[in-house]
Amino acid sequence: MARWFRIVEKKRGGRRTGSNWLGSVGEAVFCASLFLLGSLLLSLLVGTHLVRPDPGKFAFGVGGWLLVLVTASSIVLGGGGLIWAVLGIGTSIERRSAMARQAVDHDIVHSALPRARNFPTLPAFDGLIDSPGIELAYRLPSSQTPAWQLLAVTIFTMLWNLVICIVTVSVASAHVAGRHEWLVTALLVPCWAVSYWSMRTFLNLLIQNSGMATTTVEISDLPLAPGREYQVVVAQHGHAVIRSLELSLVCEEEATFTQGTDVRREIREIYRRTLWKREAFRIEPAKPFQENCSLLVPLTAMHSFQSPHNAVRWKLVVRGEAATWPVFQRDFPLVVYPGEETMQIELASRASRVASQQVSVPGMAGVHA
Amino acid sequence: MEPLLSLCIGGTSRDFAAGDELVCEYQIDAVEPGDIQAVEMSILWHTQGKGDVDLGVHFFERRLPSDAEDGDLRPMRRLRTRLPNSPLSYRGAIVNVQWCARLRLFLRRGREYVIEQPFTLGCVPAVLPALAKTGE
Repeated sequence: MARWFRIVEKKRGGRRTGSNWLGSVGEAVFCASLFLLGSLLLSLLVGTHLVRPDPGKFAFGVGGWLLVLVTASSIVLGGGGLIWAVLGIGTSIERRSAMARQAVDHDIVHSALPRARNFPTLPAFDGLIDSPGIELAYRLPSSQTPAWQLLAVTIFTMLWNLVICIVTVSVASAHVAGRHEWLVTALLVPCWAVSYWSMRTFLNLLIQNSGMATTTVEISDLPLAPGREYQVVVAQHGHAVIRSLELSLVCEEEATFTQGTDVRREIREIYRRTLWKREAFRIEPAKPFQENCSLLVPLTAMHSFQSPHNAVRWKLVVRGEAATWPVFQRDFPLVVYPGEETMQIELASRASRVASQQVSVPGMAGVHA
Repeated sequence: MEPLLSLCIGGTSRDFAAGDELVCEYQIDAVEPGDIQAVEMSILWHTQGKGDVDLGVHFFERRLPSDAEDGDLRPMRRLRTRLPNSPLSYRGAIVNVQWCARLRLFLRRGREYVIEQPFTLGCVPAVLPALAKTGE
């Protein structure tokens, strides 16, 4: 707890530099005020209407209903925030986390997922094993969904360009008629730039998705264990001349953090091993490219890890460069379990522990405050 | 005067393997028993690094004066728990996972004191071999 009351305090994401207790009290007071103000105004509105009914006040376009909506929102937000703040006062983060874990342990849906209960914080792999492969046990799903991305870009491009066309025609007609609206014309320039960008993105995506057909990756087993060898088969369909195509095993760390009011995400690649790379070949629709290889996760690798704001992810990455097509990359997520090697303690530490156990009085490593 | 909190991890080593039993002892002093509102003892992991802090509690015990003999929460208390298989302690580039035992003391009038004792679960090396550029 801060020794002195700080008038100005820094807020770093969900953390505060000042007293948490004072912060919670301040939040509760703010929410209570909002709730009280909303209640008073709504009572005033309803009371006035009951004493002197004025149907004109609630007519369309006057704003009576808007006032009711705003005051009711204040009551709901203020009341909800007040209950949340009161529940949070004096409750440690450990206690809240323990309660959340208990709730998860009793969650029937959660417990039905194929997640090893002895391995907390490992991501569920139910989405990875529900599709059997042709050559090997499982066909891995791609982490990107180009169809959805293409659909979203198509809808945006259509709507945006429709609106810009209508406005452009309207402004052009005005100019022809002698009514020069220079401000609207100037505002149209950045809109045309967005139109150009949207069309370019749409065409790029269209070329990528139509030119380079599906990439399938199959694996012999899941989840992966470090030190064990697995078989992987990659098949690239389509009709193209390929300059280069490669398969890599990649591990990334991902951190999500709050910066001011923005939520940002940083990804750092910490491991990459190219499993194979092929250059200068042709893919025909009747004869897709196929390559087999073995995959070995490093013995001392960190396992897959998933928490709300941090993650360690393993994946297979297929990256290709084709003549006359843009470079394409497709990611196939994997789940790596902790290896036997990393679940043990280091040899030096093991030796010192054995030595300490041979001494009759057990020591205690501790801190005092 | 501030209360005195003592937290010890059993054994001389702070390195543990997955599935090991962790023994912890804690004791509170220099405070009147009547001033203590609650004591919370947790074995937990939390993240450090670039991302917002995440936390997972493996073991949690909250004691109130009514849980103790004579309502006194100050005497030494020992607890045991078997450590899980994951997440293992990890020092990455932007994500770190740190395990610790944490003791939190709640006093009257909203005062709160925390001490913690870090330890290591497993032996994941801090840095993987350099980024391999080509297959072997």
